[in-house]
Amino acid sequence: MTEFLIRRIIQSVLVLFLISLLSFALIHAAPGGPTKIYLSPSLSQEAAKVQAHNLGLDKPVPVQYFIWLGNMLKGDLGYTFKNHIAVGKILWPTVGHTMVLMGAAWLFSLVIAIPWGIYNSTRQYGLSDQTSNIIAYLGFAMPTFWFGIILQEYFALKHRWLPLSDMWTMGKEGNLADLFMHLVLPVTVLTLGFLASYSKYARASMLEVLDQDYIRTARAKGLKEGKVVFRHALRNALIPIITILGLDLSILVGGAALTESVFNWPGMGRLFVQMAVAREYSVLMAITLLVSVFVIIGNLFADILYAVVDPRVQLGRNGGTSS
Amino acid sequence: MAEKILEIRNLTTGFLTDNGLVKATDRVTLNLEKGQTLCVVGESGSGKSVTALSVMRLIDYAGGIIEDGQVLFNGQDLVTKRQNEMLKIRGNRITMIFQDPMSALNPVFTVGEQIAETLRTHKKLPEKEAWRQSVDMLRKVGIPSPEIRAKQYPFEMSGGMCQRVVIAMALACNPELLIADEPTTALDVTVQAQILELLSQLKTEFRMSMLLITHDMGVAAEVADRIAVMYAGAVVEEGTVSEIFNRPRHPYTIGLLRSIPGLEGERGGELYTIKGSIPPLSKVPSGCRFHPRCPYAMDVCRTNEPPLRESVSGHKAACWLDDTGEDDPRPGKPNRVETKVTIGSRPEVTHS
Amino acid sequence: MTDAKLEKPVSEQTWNTAQGTPTGPQITVVEKRPPGPWKTAWKKFMHNPLAVTGLIILLIFVFAALLAKWLTPYDPTRIDMMFPNLPAGTGGHLLGTDELGRDIFARLLYSTRISLTVGFLVALVSVVVGTLIGAISGYFGGWVDTIFMRLVDVMNSIPLLFFNILILAIFGSKVSYMIMILAFTSWMGVARLVRGTYLQLREMQYVEAAKAIGVSSWGIIFGHLLRNASAPIIVNATLMVGGAILSESALSYLGLGVQTPATSWGLMLSNAQEFMLTNPLLALYPGLCILIVVLAVNFIGDGIRDGLDPKKTTIPQRRLAKWRRKYSKSGI
Repeated sequence: MTEFLIRRIIQSVLVLFLISLLSFALIHAAPGGPTKIYLSPSLSQEAAKVQAHNLGLDKPVPVQYFIWLGNMLKGDLGYTFKNHIAVGKILWPTVGHTMVLMGAAWLFSLVIAIPWGIYNSTRQYGLSDQTSNIIAYLGFAMPTFWFGIILQEYFALKHRWLPLSDMWTMGKEGNLADLFMHLVLPVTVLTLGFLASYSKYARASMLEVLDQDYIRTARAKGLKEGKVVFRHALRNALIPIITILGLDLSILVGGAALTESVFNWPGMGRLFVQMAVAREYSVLMAITLLVSVFVIIGNLFADILYAVVDPRVQLGRNGGTSS
Repeated sequence: MAEKILEIRNLTTGFLTDNGLVKATDRVTLNLEKGQTLCVVGESGSGKSVTALSVMRLIDYAGGIIEDGQVLFNGQDLVTKRQNEMLKIRGNRITMIFQDPMSALNPVFTVGEQIAETLRTHKKLPEKEAWRQSVDMLRKVGIPSPEIRAKQYPFEMSGGMCQRVVIAMALACNPELLIADEPTTALDVTVQAQILELLSQLKTEFRMSMLLITHDMGVAAEVADRIAVMYAGAVVEEGTVSEIFNRPRHPYTIGLLRSIPGLEGERGGELYTIKGSIPPLSKVPSGCRFHPRCPYAMDVCRTNEPPLRESVSGHKAACWLDDTGEDDPRPGKPNRVETKVTIGSRPEVTHS
Repeated sequence: MTDAKLEKPVSEQTWNTAQGTPTGPQITVVEKRPPGPWKTAWKKFMHNPLAVTGLIILLIFVFAALLAKWLTPYDPTRIDMMFPNLPAGTGGHLLGTDELGRDIFARLLYSTRISLTVGFLVALVSVVVGTLIGAISGYFGGWVDTIFMRLVDVMNSIPLLFFNILILAIFGSKVSYMIMILAFTSWMGVARLVRGTYLQLREMQYVEAAKAIGVSSWGIIFGHLLRNASAPIIVNATLMVGGAILSESALSYLGLGVQTPATSWGLMLSNAQEFMLTNPLLALYPGLCILIVVLAVNFIGDGIRDGLDPKKTTIPQRRLAKWRRKYSKSGI
């Protein structure tokens, strides 16, 4: 197990390194290079030179990269260009906000989607299955932000049942009931997307397993259908489901740029969009890296889970899903 | 006559496919006496596996239905039973082993657990006792150090070993009837012989009857008491091993026998082949279903289906040429010609 | 999906054995060629009501985009501050006007152009890129494969929406950039799929045979193997069109995609959100357009996939159940 873990961690660090290299290279590949990005065009040539020197932009690019990487590793995420605020100061609070929103939506949809998908696999093309199918089609085809806008129009503007946007009502910060009311609409929007993919995935995974020879063997043993489904099939069907859940852990931090923008939720996704429009590259780089870290932790987690639930995965020899 | 443990009467099964209704078996009638082994031989697509699944009533889960007929197990009709009544019979009094042992075992349970599960279900044994008996069963099927093996997962075992586990699982509740669907096809040749040996030995030890399904005439010759030959969903000939091998009456059986590559065959000789291929079940020909491939086909074969006629000794065949129904072939009849087949020689019939 | 692909080589193999050494009595001499997988797929597709509906809807949108000039007399970018927020049907404006007095129907029509162009181009480019990378990876294996597959890992570890936003922020928002960016962040699925198919197929005998008669590596890749991998690629590409349309609208909604004065459904939605109180219907139309087009494309994709899946029957489950009840002799 330890050998397997170490191997996967080394792999993950490598991937992370490549991502950091990629995003750094992107900034330098931009038209005009980093000087144009980091420096205001209104500066005189002399002042620009001084500024560039202060920012370390006159050093060779590889050196710049390692300085930047070193700072990142130390937790120094840099400063915003406009007001010179520490990136960490604006970034960290949003991470928590995003996790609240995404965590709620994710858990909520999992609790519904997986049992539902499993149920549907045993009652193919029944009413429940058809309903879930329609939801899946809608979930895959509907622009989430549009769904959000429609919900806002109906529930917040027309009927005033629920708050239009934001995380708290002004002056009620910290009030859980208020937070809950604010969560309802964005969670509904996010749930539709999750529900579509998870229930479909659970159903497909279950159907594939139900088609296997060992299910026939289980029936040939004279087991009750319930036991065939819940003992023999479910154990196998859960393996890929659990893996996908691990992979999707990263959604908890990164998946909500759109929904957050629609509902003005003070999370990381909205921050990213705002900063993109404002061209605050240091914030963008920091968020990209942070989200990548979460993705990679999610992948690692998925691999470990996979190894734990599936006896066929021989620990230490070959790890997981990527190969 | 000995008591019959299994009587299949006019079993007709159907599948609804894109190509319309398909009869996977058409009025199949088979009998198996207590303690005997009946081999059902045929190409893939001949309906032999569907017959086995129908006896187990697993066909309901395979997308097919039993349209008509009876499956009498000790006199009780299994066809009209409800699935929850079948639960007491399946895995307990009738058990089945399948073609591919590697995929027939659930990958996430240890083999011991899988055998013990059967015992717990049918014999209501407590956990510990079930486990002890599972280990016992593993020993009986010839698995070395069964205590250790029982705790292993299927992927840790070879194909032959897995098939032994499947057999142990099938025999755990001491069934009266064992259905083996191509039990050796997926295995290496050397292992095949071992498994066949094991099956016949256990059959005697457990006093079972066996319905063995195979496409391999050699396997049938080795273990069967009686052989039934199926073609395109119907039984075309049935008889004892010596009747089938020495006095085959249906041209299809004759073709099958001639296409076995034998050790004694002359080298370099061309192997006999039956021309054409087995028709898809959605396009079974009219009249005799074998007539498009039959070297002896006559006009009557194209229009009328030959009945399965039984000789005095119980040897049955469905062929118009065989019009006496006796085991007394007259000159010019195929069985007379074919009894003298030298395997490996070039038969003129292929070019007719 | 790969099963469908394997069909051809397998049947060739059985044919070969029949000529050589038969292993059993099973001898196949095919008298009449069965219909090929594409023909069967087309037949199944045309029997799939959802897929056909999708195809019709998509065709309507394509023609609307092509004929936009003749379908509306209005210029989608013309601002007419005399008549803002007209209700539907007034003054010859089919769906009314928006807050700047622009004709909504005209804007929807011209948006269709952008969305469909982005959708199809992205799918096309990413299929080309993905197929190339997957084919090279799968065919040559070794270190080439390792490098490309690590690249796939890296791409899959990047939060793609963020990545797209980042790049558009750096390079500026242009439709051509957006197409490139979306394509270069969605080729991984195809690459993996093609690689997988190739890994399976390259061991097959007919590849050996092709090599033996001196067909070059590239000839094998594109002549022989690609034909066998094409079905899943097409399915994947179709579904990618829908994804790209959604991404385009999302980016435009966020202000990083299509920029005014050009128009796109996403951009229209972003405007509409500002005027939710005064003109709630403004948000309805563009969203519905996106939903319907993407639904149509997905229906088509599913239709092709099911058509190519040899295990999938076209028999509705209800008919099966009815048949079972009617003809089954046994109890359930």
